[in-house]
Amino acid sequence: MTFVRTKRLAKTVLTGAAFILALAPFSLPAWAEDRVVAIGSSVTEIVYALGQEGRLVARDSTSTFPAAVEKLPDVGYMRALAPEGVLSVNPTLILAEEGAGPPETLSVLENASVRFVEVPDKYTAEGIVNKIIAVGDALEVPEEAADLAGKVAADMAAAAKVVADKSDGPPRVMFVLSTAGGRVMAAGTNTAAEGIIALAGGKNVFEFEGYKPVTAEAVTASQPDIVLMMERAGSHSTDAQTLFAMPGFAPTPAAADARLVKLNPLLLLGFGPRTGEAVRYLADAFHGG
Amino acid sequence: MADFAPSGEARPGAVSAAALGDDRLQRARLAHLGLASALSIMFIASLSVGATDVSLWTVASKVLSGEQLTLLEHTVFFDIRLPRTALGVVVGAGLAVSGVLMQGLFRNPLADPGLVGVSAGATFGAVAAIVLGGMLPVAVSTWVGAALIPTAAFVGAWVSMTVLYRVATRNGRTSVATMLLGGIAIGALVMAAVGMMVYVADDLQLRELTFWQLGSLTGASWPKLVFAMPAILIACGVGYYLAHGLNGLSLGEATAGHMGVNVQALKRVTILATAAATGAAVAVSGGIGFVGIVVPHLLRLATGPDHRPLLLNAALLGGALLLGADMIARVIVAPAELPIGIITALLGAPVFLWILLRNRAIVDL
Amino acid sequence: MTLHAEGISVVLGDKVILDAVDLIAPVGQVTAVCGPNGSGKSTLLRAVTGDIAHGGRVTLNGQDITALPPWVLSGTRGVLAQHTSLAFPFKVFEVVRMGLTAGTAATEPEIVPAALSRVGLGNYGDRFYHDLSGGEAQRVQLARVLAQIWYATDAGTPRWLFLDEPVASLDIAHQLAVMEIARSYAKQGGGVVAVMHDLNLTAMFADHMMLLKEGRVQAAGTPRDVMTDDILRTTYDCPVRVGVAPAGEVPWVLPHAAAS
Repeated sequence: MTFVRTKRLAKTVLTGAAFILALAPFSLPAWAEDRVVAIGSSVTEIVYALGQEGRLVARDSTSTFPAAVEKLPDVGYMRALAPEGVLSVNPTLILAEEGAGPPETLSVLENASVRFVEVPDKYTAEGIVNKIIAVGDALEVPEEAADLAGKVAADMAAAAKVVADKSDGPPRVMFVLSTAGGRVMAAGTNTAAEGIIALAGGKNVFEFEGYKPVTAEAVTASQPDIVLMMERAGSHSTDAQTLFAMPGFAPTPAAADARLVKLNPLLLLGFGPRTGEAVRYLADAFHGG
Repeated sequence: MADFAPSGEARPGAVSAAALGDDRLQRARLAHLGLASALSIMFIASLSVGATDVSLWTVASKVLSGEQLTLLEHTVFFDIRLPRTALGVVVGAGLAVSGVLMQGLFRNPLADPGLVGVSAGATFGAVAAIVLGGMLPVAVSTWVGAALIPTAAFVGAWVSMTVLYRVATRNGRTSVATMLLGGIAIGALVMAAVGMMVYVADDLQLRELTFWQLGSLTGASWPKLVFAMPAILIACGVGYYLAHGLNGLSLGEATAGHMGVNVQALKRVTILATAAATGAAVAVSGGIGFVGIVVPHLLRLATGPDHRPLLLNAALLGGALLLGADMIARVIVAPAELPIGIITALLGAPVFLWILLRNRAIVDL
Repeated sequence: MTLHAEGISVVLGDKVILDAVDLIAPVGQVTAVCGPNGSGKSTLLRAVTGDIAHGGRVTLNGQDITALPPWVLSGTRGVLAQHTSLAFPFKVFEVVRMGLTAGTAATEPEIVPAALSRVGLGNYGDRFYHDLSGGEAQRVQLARVLAQIWYATDAGTPRWLFLDEPVASLDIAHQLAVMEIARSYAKQGGGVVAVMHDLNLTAMFADHMMLLKEGRVQAAGTPRDVMTDDILRTTYDCPVRVGVAPAGEVPWVLPHAAAS
């Protein structure tokens, strides 16, 4: 890979340096009919769920599900997109989750007259439905989108019913992003974690904005009934025994009942077509006992 | 030969200047030409290289023959590669020149804005502007507008450099150990303040910060160039005027004064020019390290430490080097990009260690 | 046309380094400032060159030096410090050239090799300064100072050479050579003020000398007047015998150990 690209760099450098002497103009490849770049994991998942993956030509580095998407060229992290990298895949449509950037890149893409659709990202059931509709509209497959949105909404409603049937009141849930080095990063308000906890009938224990490190004492004081984490491979993974042995967690109700819930990160925080599935699973875990 | 000829009489000496080792000045002047050509080649190469297949030759021939460019060609060439390449030259020159100025002021080759907390100061200024800018009264924020971040970065660089100079220099003598350790302390202090800003930032500001802290030319745009270019050009020009005084300062503050250098003014202006160049570079491209230490060091080895030719050569080589690093950054993992800071650190950190090993004695505590 | 320092006082913290010292140095002569360690002689030179804050007034050729900006002053006087450090790997030639561009003779680049020849280092131009021995480096610094004020007078106005222990790190041959340079600069019409450690060299080369002890003037006059057994013994707290040098008419000092 690298070798090929280095060769290409060398070749292009030479081409450029010799441009005064060079004679033959290069020809550009013709623009393909419909070439979509998906930015943001939920947008990519929706494109697949709508069966439109054949139109994708590239994705961003957060888009890793389904596995097949990783075969597409990666144009970089969604918040640090390079304009020429995006243009190099000759896109006709860029479908980006809210928050893609930087603004300089977006303004260049706009100048290049590439159609750019920003898909709003709200951490609610309605937000997912709107996202699906927006992607469907952009890809001109509204019927499929309506079907999918209906399915997702039904999932959500089923989950909401499960939640409503329980009379035990919302459990207090703490979402722990990481415990690296003994430092606990937890979710506050305006986060995807808070959104999914609420959908599954739980109550987020923290009220600060975003994801922040919290002290062991704050963990104890917040008295979570359940700890929610992302499932990770390898050494990043924390098991219940290790987690609840940490000083802040030991004296909490969650530790007493050893209630640690783990879920795949994209499923948990993606707010895409599979979120209904996630909510159902979490609702069971939160209320099933 | 008359020893001390009365004015207007016998001229001294028959030995020619060239016979006495003036070859380095000539070499440095040749290097102006060599490096200017290298920079031109890098400039053209940088315009030719990119993730898309847009070719400089096609664009040039179309422009020359008056033919219409395709929109892709126009965007890639005029909105992406040209501002990015120009910004690369300006930022590279600014980083290298601020390295030369700072090393001249502190009288040692290890002083570099990135290593001793000056870039960190600029970073803090910019981060604070991003996070706290919204709290300014509307009248003020519309008045400063887009100049807010560069101005804040300049002030941050200036404050941290002034503090560092006070800490590291006593009675005109700079201790290398105090400078390095003081720089680390200031850097740590400032980065803690940056951490504080990141902590209070909201999600939107955080996104801006994350992108910006990576250190990259990705966000190059004409407005950024409009801010960075004058600041850095002025700093380079002022630096060129300071060169003679910095040469004198290499013999110590007192001796520089005896030789006619207005030492206090020299120090003040050098600090301002360094802060302007560092602040502008950091404001438009985030933290790109090691250019300020590698470029002056290599040039001193090749053409000697005389600050006059050194400053010009550093500006040329700094620009060329950063363009080279940027080309690698944007092609090696295309269509994505590597942060350019990774590449300059890979090139620069070994050079820094090499200087340390060769001059171990000067930093012995 | 003289150097006239009146009532020079320097206080560091609560320690009085110099207490109302007067120094008058005439043009055309070598004036030496001598005294034991810590007597304030180097401090006096630094006050006279304007390097440290001091009480009193210094006039050079009739002008108050505090009224002259450094770039004007540098055309009138050169200063050789006791120690000079160098930050970057300059070559000998480049160091001397710095003196040239600092002074008023920048249009005559041939002064650089001439100054190097004058200190006996004519072939050293291409060497790295940091490779030199201490004595060689000190002579290069002298060459740099000479390049700055190469002509002893400037349109009739004398220039001044201030030297702080210029021979401290030199062997005897070069001690004589450097003092000879100082004397001939004075003969050309310039003024020379040197802080000296070696009384015998002072006796040989100075026209005029001043003895300092604990920040006060102990004696001033020609070496013949000042160098007497009594004055030197009280100044240095050391028994000495002053004779006459075998080679000439100058005093010759022989210290001897206190009787046991």
